[in-house]
Amino acid sequence: MAKTDIGRGAIVRAKVRRMHASRREFAKHAILILVCLFIVLPILFMLSVSVKSLTQVLYQLLVVRGPFYLHNYQVAWQAVAPFIKNSLIMASGSAALAIMTASLAGYAFAKLRFPGRDMLFWVIFVKMLLPGVLNLIPSFVLAWHLGLLNTYWVVILFAVSAAQPFWVFVIRTFVRQIPHELFEAARMDGAAELQTFWLVVAPLLRPMLMLMGISVFIAVWNDYVWPLVTISSHSMLPIGVGLADLNAIDASYGSYGPLMAGYAISMVPLILIFIIGARQFVEGMSSGAVKL
Amino acid sequence: MKRWRLRGVHREWLVGYAFILPALGFTLIFDYYPILNGMKQSLYDWNGVNVDRFVGLQNFRQILTDPVFGHAMANVLFFLAANIVLMVPTLTACIILFRLRSQRAQYIYRIFFMIPLVVPWVVMLLVWEFMYDPQFGLFNHLLTDLHLSAYRQLWLASPSEVKWCLVGMGFPWISTTAALIYLGGLMSIDPAIWEAAALDGAGSWARALRIEWPLLRGQFKLNLVGVLSGTLTGYGVQLLVTDGGPGYSSTVPGLYMYQAAFGGTQGNYGYASAVGLLLFVVAILMTVAMMRYVRSEA
Repeated sequence: MAKTDIGRGAIVRAKVRRMHASRREFAKHAILILVCLFIVLPILFMLSVSVKSLTQVLYQLLVVRGPFYLHNYQVAWQAVAPFIKNSLIMASGSAALAIMTASLAGYAFAKLRFPGRDMLFWVIFVKMLLPGVLNLIPSFVLAWHLGLLNTYWVVILFAVSAAQPFWVFVIRTFVRQIPHELFEAARMDGAAELQTFWLVVAPLLRPMLMLMGISVFIAVWNDYVWPLVTISSHSMLPIGVGLADLNAIDASYGSYGPLMAGYAISMVPLILIFIIGARQFVEGMSSGAVKL
Repeated sequence: MKRWRLRGVHREWLVGYAFILPALGFTLIFDYYPILNGMKQSLYDWNGVNVDRFVGLQNFRQILTDPVFGHAMANVLFFLAANIVLMVPTLTACIILFRLRSQRAQYIYRIFFMIPLVVPWVVMLLVWEFMYDPQFGLFNHLLTDLHLSAYRQLWLASPSEVKWCLVGMGFPWISTTAALIYLGGLMSIDPAIWEAAALDGAGSWARALRIEWPLLRGQFKLNLVGVLSGTLTGYGVQLLVTDGGPGYSSTVPGLYMYQAAFGGTQGNYGYASAVGLLLFVVAILMTVAMMRYVRSEA
């Protein structure tokens, strides 16, 4: 008798505990869903306005109701297409050049022996700890004197340089973890260093290099102050400065439909890149690269 | 070529130098040279072309006595305090996310946390600017629709509200990079700790304070260094959205530097470099202090 009582008590207690647990689980979901909702709300708002006419913006801003003016996207595309093209060139050029330079250096710092290696590594690495604020004006004057203003190069060269410290460091750390025998085998076969690099190192580094390419691409796509200062001709503007310019013109008379359509279009390349590299981003970056 | 192959060690040297040369060259030419040049030019009256006159510490004297700079410093202290507090939502959200039982749900929420990444930075700010717009914007529309017209605001155009509006941008303040760092930290922790915590039966708050927070302190400090240095030297938001206004109510030292160089017509590059150097030094001191702190506890 007493035994079953104890048994029943335990069952009830377990049930209560499970109920508490599921209620807690529910609360966690509620909080996170709310957070996610507020993350996407401005984007949904932008999309809803992107198909509104001026009258709808004025009188039905918060209602999602037709007619939907998809024509806005056509108008926006004509304004935004040149900016997109410029930014695509700048961002992919920077990503490609940064991958080439940083991976070669990261490999050399990790596996080759030459005098002054560690000192030179520190020269590059320490730059990561220096704030970028002092660079702006002297960099501008340097670019000016080199005749780089109003070219794609002014964005590409400085973006590649900015990417070096962090990524040389990450790639060096990564290459060090590759077993030494792999390189030795390739070298015994008489492969030249560059061959070893392409055949052995680059394939192993591929996820890392892709992550690097993506992050450099996004950084250039988001760049605002530097191109604002160095690129003045309208036809050369990248997307960020271009959109800010459009905003200054369109917003003054409430032409928000096409403006928001332009914003939406400017997200597309980032979305594509993100889909391509989603796995690297969600898994890769949170596992190995940043460790304390 | 054949000679090199014979002298294997020297060949390796040569290859090593050749491989690091591009990265080193980029860093020296496009990063170190401007930094050193900026340090030097902060002592000059300089416009980049024909004026280049040594003036000693006069630039610094002028900066420190300019009331606008004082105003900018006061504002940046406000933004520093705000941005430190706004690190809490990301940290909390990550802890909650990691405690979910379902791995699938965790993955889905993590994807949502990445969404800010696909919105160009400029677009995010301009959409918020639009929402704040007194005439066309979302918030005043909403207030009207709720029959609260009396509470309509000038938002970014009001000197007393502008700083709060700038801080409010980006609500719910989930930073993707910070989230990746926190989640990475949580994942690298031995699962046995979580089982022990579950058996322990501590309440959720107690558990957060006793277990997750101490484990994430290193990651938090890493993010803190970034936030402090980024806020102190940053000015992109102000430049794009308010231009420091109305008046000087949202200006920050970085913007003060930008405007000295590119705002007017005179191109006061020496003076602007001096402002840059001041910020550079303060940011480094803060970073070094934080790093010390990180090392001593982690």
